[in-house]
Amino acid sequence: MIKLRFWGVRGSIPSPGAHTVNTGGNTSCIELRYGGADHLIIIDAGTGIRALGEFLVRSASETDTIHASLFLTHTHWDHIMGFPFFAPIYRKGTELDLYGPVTWEDESLKKVIGHQLNYQYFPVHSGELAATLRYHELRQERVELADGMVVHTTYLNHPVLCLGYRFEYHGTTVVTAFDTEPFRNLFPTDPSQAGFDPDIAAEGARAAHEENARLLSFYQNADLLIHDAQYTREEHQRTRMGWGHSSFEDAIENGLASSAARLLLFHHDPERRDDAFEEILSRCRSLAAKRNMQVDIATEGLVIELPDAQ
Amino acid sequence: MDAQERLSRLASYIDRMPSLPPTVTKVLEICNDRATSPVDLNRVISLDPVLMARVLKLINSAYYGLPNKVVSMVRAIIMLGINTVKNLALSTAVLDTLNRKTDLGVLKPVGFWRHSLAVGVTSRLLAKMHGEELSTIDEYFVAGLLHDIGKIPIDRVFAQEYVDVIEYSRERELPLYTAEREFLGFDHADCGRLIVDTWRLPTTILDTVTYHHRPAEYQGPNSTFVYTVHAANYFVNASRIGESGDDHPAALDASARAGLNIDEVKLSELAGVVDAEVQKAENFLKVV
Repeated sequence: MIKLRFWGVRGSIPSPGAHTVNTGGNTSCIELRYGGADHLIIIDAGTGIRALGEFLVRSASETDTIHASLFLTHTHWDHIMGFPFFAPIYRKGTELDLYGPVTWEDESLKKVIGHQLNYQYFPVHSGELAATLRYHELRQERVELADGMVVHTTYLNHPVLCLGYRFEYHGTTVVTAFDTEPFRNLFPTDPSQAGFDPDIAAEGARAAHEENARLLSFYQNADLLIHDAQYTREEHQRTRMGWGHSSFEDAIENGLASSAARLLLFHHDPERRDDAFEEILSRCRSLAAKRNMQVDIATEGLVIELPDAQ
Repeated sequence: MDAQERLSRLASYIDRMPSLPPTVTKVLEICNDRATSPVDLNRVISLDPVLMARVLKLINSAYYGLPNKVVSMVRAIIMLGINTVKNLALSTAVLDTLNRKTDLGVLKPVGFWRHSLAVGVTSRLLAKMHGEELSTIDEYFVAGLLHDIGKIPIDRVFAQEYVDVIEYSRERELPLYTAEREFLGFDHADCGRLIVDTWRLPTTILDTVTYHHRPAEYQGPNSTFVYTVHAANYFVNASRIGESGDDHPAALDASARAGLNIDEVKLSELAGVVDAEVQKAENFLKVV
C-alpha cells in the first residue's frame, strides 16, 4: 500500500490567514509511506515539512532511527525553505537521503540546500547537524529504493531544472507533476509577426508537441497524479505565461490524456482564497466527468491510501 | 614536434576556444536584455560555430541526461527555456571578452565567420532541395556551420606554422587540408573530430566534420549529411563567399554528386539566396 499525507500544498510563499485556513498555507511537502516496514519518502521540503518533522520526532523513541528519503522536485525557495526547521536533522540517529536536481552552474545539491544553514540566514550551521545526511543528485533516471519501490524521474517545464517523479510500488503508481507548465512554441507562428520563419515555426511546434507527449507518457496510467494547478487558464494566459506553472484546465487535460485514475490539484496560488475552490472544483469535476477521473483539491492534512495492485 | 604532440596541445586548448568576434557583442547585447526574445537568442547562437557547439555540448552532456541528442537550437530553447540557454550563451561570451584574444591568427575572423555561416546556410538549402525531413533541416545547418571548427584551434595554437601551411597551399595550388597534412601530420578535419568527440556532439556532426573533404571514404549512416556539407563547402569556396584559407579547394566529389543528384550548375543557382542570408546575418550583427 502507498499512503500519502499532505503537509504543505501551497505554492510560491507560505500564506497563513483566515482566508487559507481550510486549504492550508504551508508550502509544498508530501509524506509518502509504503510497504509493511512503513518506509518513508518525503516529497519537497517546503514549510509543511516543519510539522511533519515534529510529528516524526514525537512518534519515535529516543533510540529509534528515523530513516527517510527526501525527494526535492527542484531548489526554488518554496520547495526547500522548511528544511532548516525539519527537527529530525538535529537528532542523532536520523538518516536522511536527499535526492534532487541541480542547476547547470555546477553547484552541488549539498551546497544549494546547505546554504540555508549558514549563520547569515539561520542560527545553526550545516556542519552542526547531528543527523547523517547523504546527497544524491538526480537527472532523468531510475532509482531503486528498499522493498521494490522504483522511482523514475523526468524534466518538467520550469525556469530551473525541475523533476517530475513517478513512484511505482507493487503495481501502484503515484506521479508528481509540479512545478510545471505545458511546453509551447516560443517562436512566431503568424507570418505577419516580426521574426517569423516557417521552418523555425514548424520546428518549434514539433518540439513543443513532442515534449508534451513525453510528459504525458511519463504520467501514463497513474493511480494518483499530483499536478501543478496554480492558476486558472484566464490568469495564466493573461499575465503568467512562462512562469513555469499550470492552470486547473491544463491539469485536467493532462490527467485525462494520461488516463489518470485520480487527479489531485496542487501548488495553489498564495492569493487563492478558500472560498474560490468550491467553484473551481465543481468546474474541474464537470470537465473530468465524462472519463470517470476523480478530481480533488489538495488540502493540508489530506490523507490518501492506495492499495497494492499486485 | 610530431603530429601526436601537436594534437595533444590542441586538445588542451579546446575548452578555452573563443567565439568568433562578430557575434560576441551581439550575444552580450541580446542576453543582457531582460526580455530576450527567443527569435533573437536562436539567431545569435546559430550564427556562431563555437557558441553553437558549446551550447550543444552542454545540452547533450551527461549533466542533463537527455535520452536523445539535441541538435536544434529551437528545440533546446523550448526544452530548457530561454533563461537556461541565455545563461549558457552569456557565460561563453563573457569568457571570451575576458580572454579577449578573439582575433584568429592568420584566418581573418569576419571572413572565416562568413564562410562558416554560408556553408551552414547552403547545407540547409541543399537538404531542403534533396527533400530531407523537415525535422532534420536544422541539423544540416548546424553540421555546415561547424564543419571547419577544427581550423580555429590550429590557427591559434600554431599560428606561425599555419601561415606557412596556407602559403604553401597557395604556392603549390593544393587544397588546404592536403597542405595541413604535409606540414602538421593531420588536417583541420582531424582537429574538428577531436573537438566534436571531446564535446560529445551528435554523430551527424562528428561524421560531417571528419569527412567533409573525403566523402568517398565515408561508410556509415550519415552519408547524406557528409555529401551535403561537402557540396556546400565546395560551392561556398568556389563562389568566394567569405574566407576559409582554402584558395584551391578540391573539386566536387563524385560520391556527393551522385548521392545528392547535383552538379556545379545546380549549386550555382543557390548563390543569390546564400548571399542574401549572409547579408541578413551581417545586418543583424552589425558586421562592418
